[in-house]
Amino acid sequence: MISAKSKGVIHLILALRDIHKSFGEKKVLTGVSFTAESGKAFGLLGRNGAGKTTSIRILMGVFPADSGDVLMDGKPLDHKKVGIGYLPEERGLYPKKKIIDQLVYFAQLKGMKTQDAVKACDRWLERLGMSEYRDKRLDTLSKGNQQKIQLVTALAHDPEIVILDEPFSGLDPINAMLLKDVVKEEIGRGKIVLFSSHQMSYIEEFCDAIAIINKGQVAITGELHAIKREYPRDRLAIRSPEAGRIAAAFPGRTEQAENGELILKLESPTEKMDVLRRLAERFDIDEARVFEPSLNDIFAQYAGD
Amino acid sequence: MEQFRKILKFELKGYLTNKVFVGVTCFLVAVIFLVTFFPRVTNLLGGQDTDETPEEREVMLVSGGDESARAALAQAFPEYEVRLTESDVKAPVTKGEAACAVELHGLSDFTYYVDNLGMYDTNAQRVSEVLTGLYRLAALTEAGVAPERAEEIMASTVSFDIQSLGVDQGQNFFYTYIMIFALYMVILLYGQMVATNVATEKSSRAMELLVTSADPTAMMFGKVAASCLAGLLQLMCVFGSALLFYDLNRSYVEDGGILSLLFDMPPSLLAYMFLFFILGFFIYAFLYGAIGSTASKLEDINTSVMPITVVFLAGFFVVVFGMSSGSVDNPLMVACSFIPFTSPMAMFTRIAMSHPALWEIALSVAILLASCAGVGVLAAKIYRVGVLLYGVKPKLGEILRTLKKA
Repeated sequence: MISAKSKGVIHLILALRDIHKSFGEKKVLTGVSFTAESGKAFGLLGRNGAGKTTSIRILMGVFPADSGDVLMDGKPLDHKKVGIGYLPEERGLYPKKKIIDQLVYFAQLKGMKTQDAVKACDRWLERLGMSEYRDKRLDTLSKGNQQKIQLVTALAHDPEIVILDEPFSGLDPINAMLLKDVVKEEIGRGKIVLFSSHQMSYIEEFCDAIAIINKGQVAITGELHAIKREYPRDRLAIRSPEAGRIAAAFPGRTEQAENGELILKLESPTEKMDVLRRLAERFDIDEARVFEPSLNDIFAQYAGD
Repeated sequence: MEQFRKILKFELKGYLTNKVFVGVTCFLVAVIFLVTFFPRVTNLLGGQDTDETPEEREVMLVSGGDESARAALAQAFPEYEVRLTESDVKAPVTKGEAACAVELHGLSDFTYYVDNLGMYDTNAQRVSEVLTGLYRLAALTEAGVAPERAEEIMASTVSFDIQSLGVDQGQNFFYTYIMIFALYMVILLYGQMVATNVATEKSSRAMELLVTSADPTAMMFGKVAASCLAGLLQLMCVFGSALLFYDLNRSYVEDGGILSLLFDMPPSLLAYMFLFFILGFFIYAFLYGAIGSTASKLEDINTSVMPITVVFLAGFFVVVFGMSSGSVDNPLMVACSFIPFTSPMAMFTRIAMSHPALWEIALSVAILLASCAGVGVLAAKIYRVGVLLYGVKPKLGEILRTLKKA
């Protein structure tokens, strides 16, 4: 296994190419392709039942695809060489067993030697502030703490690819912050981090690139900022105490956004500077910028029916 | 292989630290301790009293006979105080004043009264024997035979000696029965445990992580091997302690009793027991594991494993009936001794209580071995498909269709 620590500079590219998969008569995936790079977080989005988990399972080699390839740097992904860490959406470990025992067991199953596994697990428990629970049974812990324990199983063996399915659900703000730090560290260490979540704010915060899967197909994929820039830049988002007067000055061209901003439609993107100047001269403007769709908007557009 | 070792170790540790497992084993050893040490203890406590007759003997009432009949019965039933009475005998028996009563209607006819007739109550037969003797003696004397000569004729017996050239089924019956029963118990118990274990992992969603961490074949073989080792260990604890305790108390155990019959089994049989135990265990545990993986909820397990349990029970009954009928080589048993799911018990019974040819044993073991490997691989495949199917219990056809692709 390539050690993530030593690889540092190595740039890894994970690619799914035209993956098809059906269970019985039911076609679950009909051509899923996306590319994720090391050192960046990738957001895998989709509604319930869109095919995210199936894509992840094929990527992890739980079952093979009917057709299509999973490539690492252009070559078929070899699960014996490339480590994958997985935080499943359906959390669960052995409730009746000692925490350190099961953590070490899972690390061993991923190929670690016993001593290394114990060391790594202890290090992670400390990093997550869970050392005191080391010898306790899992079911004595709160849900949030159990989730942190589960996170250790995804990270202890220092995998090249980290897949986090809804990592923030069930965490309090402090723990969410801790997890954010940990994820940022992992990204910084050059890992390929795959996020799957319905909480768009987290995806927007972390992910450079996304893929939205809808009905077994990738509806859109690419760098998030590039996707946003592809939308026509013909609207302005304005924050102002005089929103009412602005709306009256541009009849029929404004609408109120949910966050209180006023959205002003331009006749063309080239009109932008002219309108901004006029606004600044006549009204009290706190903030004005080109309106970009939020990930929520993009999601609603591509993952809707 | 490395994964198999890790899984085996983890699962085995799970069994050995399980309080129920340890508790049951200790309890069984304690029971065996009591049983084997019982003769020694009674010997120490009551050694001197054994030949003294108990002061309070139960009463047997005899009515309607003469003094000679009463005397003969008193002699034949030393454990009873035999009383002659002319009054009604039923009432004292119902009231509990007498244990039983014999109402004679002449020498060739009587009624035996007892409150509750015990399963092993042979008093009526014994009375009949005594009276038959008396009747024949009287008849002989009446026909002109001198009383001494008549008694001689009545007392004469034919001496005989039995030499079994094969196996003594009467003697082998006990330990074969015990072993078959041990096999039966362990396979059912541990098979269920494997199924429950898999279903628990599935319902606690630990499976999500397991299937992505370990090869399903390693998983299946590791789990089954661990439960087999745990079962074997438990059996060894129980039988080992039994052998040890028996050895310590050998001099106190009466010769020819059940205990000595049980423990004087040939070592080669033990070896066969070991072989068939492992193979039989594996083939069933694989099936139980596979079934466990298709259950979504723990509650479903009991109904899901029913078909396997029925097959297993059918095999068990064929063997037990074959054993008790004495014809362990009947066609059904011979057939069963080659069918992989029944052969562990059937072939073992035939080896213990008969003389199957060596090729028969070899063929049976070979078939069993091959089926074990086949069932193991198949079970691992079902496992991989089954563990990820939540919600509705998958139909057999659905699993098979998915298997073809997997």
